[in-house]
Amino acid sequence: MPSEMNVGSNVGGIDRAAIGPDGRRRRVLVAMSGGVDSSVAAALLVEQGYDVVGVTMQVWDYTSCDIDEGNGTCCSSLDVDDARAVADRLDFPFYVANCEAKFKASVIDPFVEGYLKGQTPLPCVNCNTFLKFDHLITRMKELDCDFLATGHYAKIEPGVDGRPTIVTSDDGWKDQTYFLFTIEPEVIPRLMFPIGHLNKSEVRKIAEEKNLLVARKKDSTGICFVGNLGYSNFIASQVSPDRLVGGKIRLHPSGEILGDHQGIHHFTYGQRKGLGIATRSERTESEAPLFVLRIDPETRDVWVGEESFLFSSTVKVRDARFLGAFESGERLKVKIRYAHKGAYGRVHAQADGSLEVEFEEAVRAITPGQAAVFYRDSQLVGGGWIP
Amino acid sequence: MDYLTQGSKRQIYLDHNATTPPDAEVLARISDWARDWGNPSSIHQAGRGPKARLRDARAAVASMVGATNLEIIFTSCGSESNSTAILGSLQALRRRGDLRRHILSSHLEHPSIRRNLESLKADGYAIEYVPVDRSGLLSAQAFSSRIRPGETVLISCMLVNNETGVIQPVKEIVQAAKLSGVLVHTDAVQALGKIPVNLAELGVDYASFAGHKFYSLRGAGVLFARKGAPLEPLIQGGGQERGRRGGTENTMAIAALGYMCTRQTEVVERSQKMAKLRDHFEARALSEIKAVTVTGSQSPRVGSTSSLLIPGIDGETLLMSLDMEGIAVSTGAACSSGSPEPSPVLLAMGLTREEAQCSLRVGVGWSTTKEEIDCFVEVLKKVVHRLRGLRGWEVSSPRPELMASPEIEVLNA
Repeated sequence: MPSEMNVGSNVGGIDRAAIGPDGRRRRVLVAMSGGVDSSVAAALLVEQGYDVVGVTMQVWDYTSCDIDEGNGTCCSSLDVDDARAVADRLDFPFYVANCEAKFKASVIDPFVEGYLKGQTPLPCVNCNTFLKFDHLITRMKELDCDFLATGHYAKIEPGVDGRPTIVTSDDGWKDQTYFLFTIEPEVIPRLMFPIGHLNKSEVRKIAEEKNLLVARKKDSTGICFVGNLGYSNFIASQVSPDRLVGGKIRLHPSGEILGDHQGIHHFTYGQRKGLGIATRSERTESEAPLFVLRIDPETRDVWVGEESFLFSSTVKVRDARFLGAFESGERLKVKIRYAHKGAYGRVHAQADGSLEVEFEEAVRAITPGQAAVFYRDSQLVGGGWIP
Repeated sequence: MDYLTQGSKRQIYLDHNATTPPDAEVLARISDWARDWGNPSSIHQAGRGPKARLRDARAAVASMVGATNLEIIFTSCGSESNSTAILGSLQALRRRGDLRRHILSSHLEHPSIRRNLESLKADGYAIEYVPVDRSGLLSAQAFSSRIRPGETVLISCMLVNNETGVIQPVKEIVQAAKLSGVLVHTDAVQALGKIPVNLAELGVDYASFAGHKFYSLRGAGVLFARKGAPLEPLIQGGGQERGRRGGTENTMAIAALGYMCTRQTEVVERSQKMAKLRDHFEARALSEIKAVTVTGSQSPRVGSTSSLLIPGIDGETLLMSLDMEGIAVSTGAACSSGSPEPSPVLLAMGLTREEAQCSLRVGVGWSTTKEEIDCFVEVLKKVVHRLRGLRGWEVSSPRPELMASPEIEVLNA
C-alpha cells in the first residue's frame, strides 16, 4: 500500500516498502522525459531499493518541426538520449515506447481542433489521460511492474477512508495536480510520485549530488510539441489553409468593428497584447485597455472589451471526473487554469450531468478548453472541462 | 565489460541479423592489426604493413564471394556500399548519355536502398517495386515481366531478407535482366556466413556486404563491382580503391573482415549447425506456444533466421520483457531511435498492422548453443503466457487460466 511507501523505514540501505510480501524487490516503471524531475524520481527509487525500469514515450516526430532540442521540451529525441543516459548512469533497464500514432490521435488532433473551435486547449491532460496513465499503466502490468512512477509534483496520501488519494505537492508553486484529475481512482494505489514532497530547488540539488547531467536543464515550460514554432504557426502547419480564415474584431457590447484578424487560432481569452488593432483612444473616449472577451468560432468574430467584462461568478463544467467522494453543493477550491491560485465556490451537479460552479468571488477569464479542477483542502477531488 | 559475460547475469544473444559478436580469433588479433597504423597509401615503410593487410583482405574477400581482387571495393558499411552501387552506377551511365530512367526493386529492401531510390524520383527516375506476398519470396518472373527494354536501367534485389531469412531468386533475375542489358545490384549483407556466395555464378553487376554481420568489426563494408560495370565514387578523396572510394581505409576493420573470409570453408558446416538449432527452436515454439506461425517458412530460407508471429502479444513489450530476462531478440530491423514501428517488410508482405505488431525475429549465430535455445524457449513461454493473460487473449479453445479478467484483478493483486 502507498501508506507504507512513504514510511521509508530503512533496512540495510533498502526501504522496507521496496520489498514485496514475496521477498522480491518491487519493480517500478518510471516514466522518464529526460528532464530533471523524472530523472530524480528514478534516482530516488533506485536509492530506496526498488527494481527500477525506465521508459520514455516517443510521442512525436521531432525531426518534422523546428525545436531547439534539449532545452526544456519534453520527450524530444535528444531528451530521450538524456533519459537513457540517466538510466545508464543508475544502471537500470531503459526502453523507448513508440506512442506517435496514439499521441497524434489523442493529443495533437484535439489540440488543433480545440483552437479551431475558439478554445485554448490543455493537451497535457490528454497526454496524461491517454498516454501516461493509460498506455503506461498497460506497460507497467505487461512488464511485471508493481508501480508506475512519474516526476509529477504531486503526492499520494491516505484519505479519510484510508484509501490513497492524490494531494498537492509540498512545492505549491510547481504543484501539477491540476493535470491529474482524469486519473482512474483504481489506478492510484499503483502510482508513485517520488518527488512530490520536494521543491524544485531540492530536486535540482539531488540531481547535482547524484551527478545527473540533467541537473542544469531548463524547466519544461509550454507545450512540448509546439516548440519554437509558436502556437499559431504550429496550428497552421497541421491544417489546410482554408480552415484558418480571418474575421472581425468587435467591441463589446456595442458590436463596433475595430479591425480584421488572421484567424481565431491567434487568440485566447483574456489576451491583451497582439490584438492588431489601432490604439483605443483613437476610436473611443476611454483609455482603458482592451482584452479578448469571447471567440465565436461560427462567425469567427473576436469580441474585445474592458477588463471588467472578463469576470464571471459561475462556470459550467462538462465531462467531470471524480477521484473520490463528492457531494453536490459542496464548497471546494477550484482552479480554472494551471497558473490560477484557486477560488472557492460551490459545485452543483446539474440535471444534464454537467456541473456548475458558483464562485464566492468572480474569477477572471474563464477560458473554454481549459479545465476546472476541484480541491478539498490539499486533496485533488476531481475536475472537468470548460466548454 | 563484454555484453555476453556481464557478471553472473544470463545473457543470450539471438539477434545476429542486427550484428554479430566479433569472433574470438578476431578479438585476439585486433591489437596486431591496430599496430599497423600507417597510411596504406604511404610510400614509406610505415605504409607497407597496412598496405599488405589491405591486399590480403581483398584477396580473401574476393576468394570468398567468387570475385577478382579488382572487383572488391572497401567501404565503411553496407549502407555506403548500397548507396554507392545505386547512385554511382546511375551517375556513370548518365555521363555516358544513357537515357534509361526506369528502376525495379522491391519493398523488402533495406532503407539504404529504398531511400536512395525514392530520392532518385526527383531526378526523373521512375521506381517500380515488384509485389511480394506472404511467402516473402520475390518472383523472378515478376521482375522480368516488368523490364521495359530501352527504359529499365537497373534492378536492385536483396539476396537474403534480414527479417524472414528468405533467399531471393537473384540468379534468375539476372538471367532475365541480361537479355535486356539491365544492370543488377544485390544487397548480400545478410548472406555472408549464412550461405556460400558466388558472385560469378550469380552474375550480378554489383553486390554489397558488411563486416559486422560476419563476426568481424563495424567500419568495413564491401562493394563488389563487376569488371567493367559503370561506377562513379560516392565519396571523392585521395584516389583510394582505384578512385572508386575516397578516404583513408579502415585497415583494422578491413583486416578483420578479410580474416573471417579466410574461414569460408566453415560456412557450410556452421550453417547446418545453425539450421538445426533454428529448426529445434521453431519446432518447440510451434508445439509449446499456441497459435504461433512462422513467416516465410514455405520459402527457401537461410538456416539462422526465424520470424514468428505470436498473436495476443505486443512485440515491443515482448522485447522489453525478454531483455529484462537477459535475452536479446528483435521485432524486425534494428532502429536507431530504439522505438520500433511495425516492420515495413512484413507490411509489404501483406501482413496486417496487428500481425506485424506481434512479430518476433530470432537470429541464431555461429556460437549459439542448444542450451541457449532451450532456455530462451522456456522464458518465451513464460513471458508470452503472462502477456496473453493480461490481455485476456484466448485461442478457440480457451484455457481457464487465461480467462481471468485482466484489468481489475491485476490492479487489486
